[in-house]
Amino acid sequence: MMHETVAATNAIVVLDVALPGIVWGWIITMNMWAKSIGTGIIFLGFFLLKKYPEQTGFIRFPMVVTSIVFIHIFLFFTVIDLHQMFRFWHIFFHPHLTSAITIGAWMATAFVGLLFGMAYAIYMKKDVALYDKLLGWTTLLAIPVTLYTAGLMAESTARELWQMPTESAQMILAALLAGSAAMLLLGGNKFSDAIKKDLGIVMGLSAFAAFILYMSEYIFGGMKAEEVAATLAFVKGGEYTVMFWIGQVLAFLAPMALVCLSLKNNSFYLLKIAAVSALIGLWVSKHVWLVIPQLLNMS
Amino acid sequence: MQLGFLVDLHLCMGCKGCEIACKVENEVPLSTWRLRVKYVDVGTFPETKRTFTPLRCNHCANAPCERICPVSALHYLENGIVNIDKERCIGCAGCIMACPYGAIYIDPQTQTADKCTYCAHRVASAMMPSCVVACPVEANIFGDLDDPTSNISKYIQQHQGDVQVRKPEKGTDPHHFYVGGGNVQLNPLASFRGEGHNLFNNLTHLPVGGHH
Repeated sequence: MMHETVAATNAIVVLDVALPGIVWGWIITMNMWAKSIGTGIIFLGFFLLKKYPEQTGFIRFPMVVTSIVFIHIFLFFTVIDLHQMFRFWHIFFHPHLTSAITIGAWMATAFVGLLFGMAYAIYMKKDVALYDKLLGWTTLLAIPVTLYTAGLMAESTARELWQMPTESAQMILAALLAGSAAMLLLGGNKFSDAIKKDLGIVMGLSAFAAFILYMSEYIFGGMKAEEVAATLAFVKGGEYTVMFWIGQVLAFLAPMALVCLSLKNNSFYLLKIAAVSALIGLWVSKHVWLVIPQLLNMS
Repeated sequence: MQLGFLVDLHLCMGCKGCEIACKVENEVPLSTWRLRVKYVDVGTFPETKRTFTPLRCNHCANAPCERICPVSALHYLENGIVNIDKERCIGCAGCIMACPYGAIYIDPQTQTADKCTYCAHRVASAMMPSCVVACPVEANIFGDLDDPTSNISKYIQQHQGDVQVRKPEKGTDPHHFYVGGGNVQLNPLASFRGEGHNLFNNLTHLPVGGHH
């Protein structure tokens, strides 16, 4: 990095220790990606069950199972990323409440409890009323569970690129994008055209808003802080440029285009392609954004 | 009591005695450092000079590592030192992501976070940190910032206008000061870091804690 170097100083590091490698890598990307699906499908399930109660009753069980599976993928990757994974219980018995990790772990645990409650209500008790009551609380809790990672990134003081307002918006949009994509794949042809259209619109608008946020950071982020400028250099001709744009195209641009084409031509098969593209692209986009701030030398 | 550090960069000659003393005292494993001295060359021949900057934990009053630690493994001692309990640490690496000074690492032997503790164990026995003892030119000054008669307080008073901290814009309120430092020494973005220009020549990046 030589953002502040000038010819007059010509400052060059000639002897120093090797820099640390990536600390939070693909395991954390898996964590965030799986959580987006696990909470997003609850958001979209709640929406569909409220708007189309007669047509979408069948999604109650597959929706909660999908959420349980992806939340456990999220939890699994959270735990295996710990260098001392068998001390995970310390979070519950020695909690430090200023940490977003602690708050997140507690909320995710409560969220999992509610999901199992929903599964019990619909599978064992066949009690739709209880299921729907629990779904309301689960949907509410899904909001902070989605957002706590943004809080964690905001608490990462060293990483200037991660700011709470944009990260929290990105997390919610990622959940809506992933949730609508997963719901489209889950519902298949059992959904009516009106439902598919609604899911397509949610997916397209989420992709559009998320893309605007990324581009805002990409173009204007570096104007406010030298560290952000140095970080973004890795996606502006740097080593993560190609990966960044692959992520942007797959996660946002392609789904936006496919949703538009689908709605215009009433071809809902395109929505499935858009959904797959969004899910793959979301992983790539999140990974790039996670890694690039860690490439900067902090000292 | 609020313990703090001050390094007079006018005096430091880059002998790395502090670095070695720290390694020995704290049994810091290979490939990791609690304290290191960075060399930066400045200028164009024949007007050139080499700068030496010892870098360690800043023991911030508003420490991001302490705030983000989910299990209070990083905690304040009564004397202001940001200490670490390695038995409690779960190795989430949140502190590494939070520290703006790159002062925390994963110990490859214990698989827990570790960093400079101002030799808290020595301080508890009324001894100076090992790096202070090892410095041949007394460039490292350690003491109580709350005591106006301490050496560090006097030094700060005598060098007003030339006392700096690293990255003040982060709002961490570091208790580690530098006298005689410039942007080149204290801002990592102000110097060019090319491949191979380090202690191990071609080794520029290390795996984190030997895992992952």
